[in-house]
Amino acid sequence: MFGRIYALALNTFRDAIRKKILYAIVVMVLGWNLFATVLGAMSWNEEARVARDMGLFGVSAFGSFTAIILGVMLLYTEVQKRTIHTLISKPLARFEFVLGKYLGMVMTLTLLVGLFVLTLAGLLTIQDIPFTSTVAKAALLGYFEVLVVAAIAVFFSSFSSPFLSGVFALGLFLLGRLTPEMRAATEHAEPWVAKCATWALRVVPDLHLFSVSGGTVDGQVVSVHGDHFVNWGYVWTSMGYGAVVIVALLLLAILAFSKRDFV
Amino acid sequence: MSVIIEVKDLHKTYKTPFSRKLVHAVQGITFEVRKGEAFGFLGPNGAGKTTTIRMLMGLIKPTKGSATLFGLPVGERLATSKLGFLPEAPYFYDYLSVTELLDLAGRLFGMSSKDRRKKGEELIDLVGLRHAAKSPLKSYSKGMMQRAGIAQALINDPELVVFDEPMSGLDPIGRKEVRDIIQSLKSQGKTIFFCSHILADVESLAERVAIVAKGKVRKTGRLDELLASEKKHQRVEVRCENEEKSKDLAQKLTDQKGEVHGAKVVFQLDDTQDLVGLIKHATDEGATLTSVTKQNRDLESVFMEVVGGVS
Repeated sequence: MFGRIYALALNTFRDAIRKKILYAIVVMVLGWNLFATVLGAMSWNEEARVARDMGLFGVSAFGSFTAIILGVMLLYTEVQKRTIHTLISKPLARFEFVLGKYLGMVMTLTLLVGLFVLTLAGLLTIQDIPFTSTVAKAALLGYFEVLVVAAIAVFFSSFSSPFLSGVFALGLFLLGRLTPEMRAATEHAEPWVAKCATWALRVVPDLHLFSVSGGTVDGQVVSVHGDHFVNWGYVWTSMGYGAVVIVALLLLAILAFSKRDFV
Repeated sequence: MSVIIEVKDLHKTYKTPFSRKLVHAVQGITFEVRKGEAFGFLGPNGAGKTTTIRMLMGLIKPTKGSATLFGLPVGERLATSKLGFLPEAPYFYDYLSVTELLDLAGRLFGMSSKDRRKKGEELIDLVGLRHAAKSPLKSYSKGMMQRAGIAQALINDPELVVFDEPMSGLDPIGRKEVRDIIQSLKSQGKTIFFCSHILADVESLAERVAIVAKGKVRKTGRLDELLASEKKHQRVEVRCENEEKSKDLAQKLTDQKGEVHGAKVVFQLDDTQDLVGLIKHATDEGATLTSVTKQNRDLESVFMEVVGGVS
């Protein structure tokens, strides 16, 4: 089983790194970091803040954007181009196919996010700003958020067209980032809004957990710039939560995919 | 002889996306393919051939009925590990070379790296793609792609090979090459199930056939029996002095339905008609017998009769 999943993952990775859009995103990230350097230079003693904020935003936003673009195409293209016909007729179960494709995407996103983080580290080093464990924790959380977003995109891709999957995945990503606001709405908003927010909180993955800088954790303000940031325990717990969400989404994707006819 | 493919009362009904109208693509297909035989699955476009094959390959789920491969339900790993499949108009990851495609296919069968390399090289030679072994598949012609498809279908040295329209879109040379490969698989004792609407190819390859039309099997049997069961025909050609006399002769022998071609009259007789009587009558009328040809019915005439009777 693992051999087949690995073979498919490796092939998916090879396919993904050939996509021109990926290189466009890498160029955008480099440009984004250069822009951060210029912006930092223009600021008044805030070079470190600007570099960290912009670099981590790059990891999270560009990573998630890439995850959505790659994810929504992942299963659809195989069905549309009928490459799946020669694969499923081999001793490859449909769940192995979905897992292989997702793992291939994880490989691609790991490479990309690794590149983004390296760029961020390079940018900080040039400006004599240390790459602290705080930045490492924030980057790791950002990376896990990207993997969750990839699973969201794969889930929608298992039964929907790329356009609709993209709209749904982007919508869920934005809602996932707004969980503190939704929580607030359950207490302070109009009853119908509160009801909607309560319902949404049950189904929307809490992506805010991975982008916590500037918010509060256990009643304390946490920031990548300040003295107080989340500890490693928080990072592992959030990653555990992310892993559960990923497994749940992949199970749903497998369920939807195994019911499909490949005409 | 053991049964390799068994299909019982297979149905597939689709709903159209917007109108939700029911489309009955396959309506109760039943047949079996025995070990070591080459079985041709024939039918016009839209007969349900490809849908049936996709159900056998586990790509489509039947609405009703059952299908087994090697006595196991479709999709069972033990069955798929002994199966090779070439889909209609195959499309593969076009950035891969045929060597890489075969390596990927071999990995999915759990073959060791050494076996993948050895078998891959063997197949590249078999399908004649040595010169393009390292080129990406996107640079391949349709015929080359078809050959790459055959190679990937054979990577696991399958006991059963399923080809969906293997000769479709190929030029005469490509068709011959594919036919030769299928012949060699037959001689190796592999079970071959293929669908095609190129009847000449089916006639040269298949031992048994099923003719499908409008989602149902209309005729099944050994090819030689199907052809033998048809009435034998004889073509009698006589020549008269001129066109006028040939028209007169055709008119006098209205039962035989002669066709006039200038001074020539051509009669098509079956076994029930009196050949000697016709010749005597024609020569008595002053015509000269030019030829008598025994015409065996071919698959095309059987096919047309079966399919024509349905539509």
